[in-house]
Amino acid sequence: MVKRGKLEIIKDILKIIKEKHNSIKVTPLLRQSNLSSKRFTEYFHELIEKGFIKDIKEKDKRYISLTEKGFKFLEKYEAIIEFIDEFDL
Amino acid sequence: MPPPFYNITMNIELIYSFVIIICSLMIYFGTKELYELSSYKGLKYFRLSFLFFAIVYLFRFLIRLSLLTYNAPRMLDMTPRILGHSAQFIFMYFSSMAVFYLIYSIIWKKFKENSKTIYLFHGLALLLSSITLFFRGPGIILITNVFLLLFVVIIFLLSYKKSKIKKRGLNLYFAYILLFIFWILNIIDLLVPNFLELIQLFIYLASLSIFLLILYKVLKKTG
Repeated sequence: MVKRGKLEIIKDILKIIKEKHNSIKVTPLLRQSNLSSKRFTEYFHELIEKGFIKDIKEKDKRYISLTEKGFKFLEKYEAIIEFIDEFDL
Repeated sequence: MPPPFYNITMNIELIYSFVIIICSLMIYFGTKELYELSSYKGLKYFRLSFLFFAIVYLFRFLIRLSLLTYNAPRMLDMTPRILGHSAQFIFMYFSSMAVFYLIYSIIWKKFKENSKTIYLFHGLALLLSSITLFFRGPGIILITNVFLLLFVVIIFLLSYKKSKIKKRGLNLYFAYILLFIFWILNIIDLLVPNFLELIQLFIYLASLSIFLLILYKVLKKTG
């Protein structure tokens, strides 16, 4: 199996959230991301820090959703990858 | 009163520098969104390279303007001396770093995540700037630049051998190697008076074409 690159992992996580109507709990997100718990936590914090996702806590519920920047990343993902390939970056 | 060729030379210099500065800044700002979203290191070095090219060509134009205005053959002959010396040192440093960033944008993946290799390139750029400042003879400047060109081309060819884009053709690597060759010729043209006078216009046209080609490739991907 080919190892996923960092950008691809970010895209996969964001895509899962988007496909769940932009609202998913942390545990199913961890499960569907196919990452170890440790790596998932690292990515999770990085995505929050970069402003791609937000951790929403309402009463006793907690869910994750994409920010505008997260949607933008998904929209531009192909362009980013094509650019990196084109210039061999 | 300025010499009769002053206006023509200045207009050519102005157009040449202006087009390259605009191309470089369009590449830098055109890739801003992709970098801000991805924080990808290769993109960071690629963008920095063109930002440095924009600074270098702005600087180059100001140096040319000063040389023509003060009728001085070389930067080191300008008065006050400190002005000429600092101008040459800064020009060489930024110009070397522009090319080193472009190389590093391709080879950075071969180093560890937090590698400090880029500082080696800063060191090399400072060394080159010092050499051209302290050893003022045209011979030393020519030899230094030929060695630098060889160094850059060897790194590039080694990188090309392992490249994923090999199958798609030589286009990009060929364009980069031409960029390096004309970058060296630009430096020699500025630092060694009258050495490349006869082919100056050709150097300008070739350099412009390479920058326009890279800009075209960038715009095609960024829209």
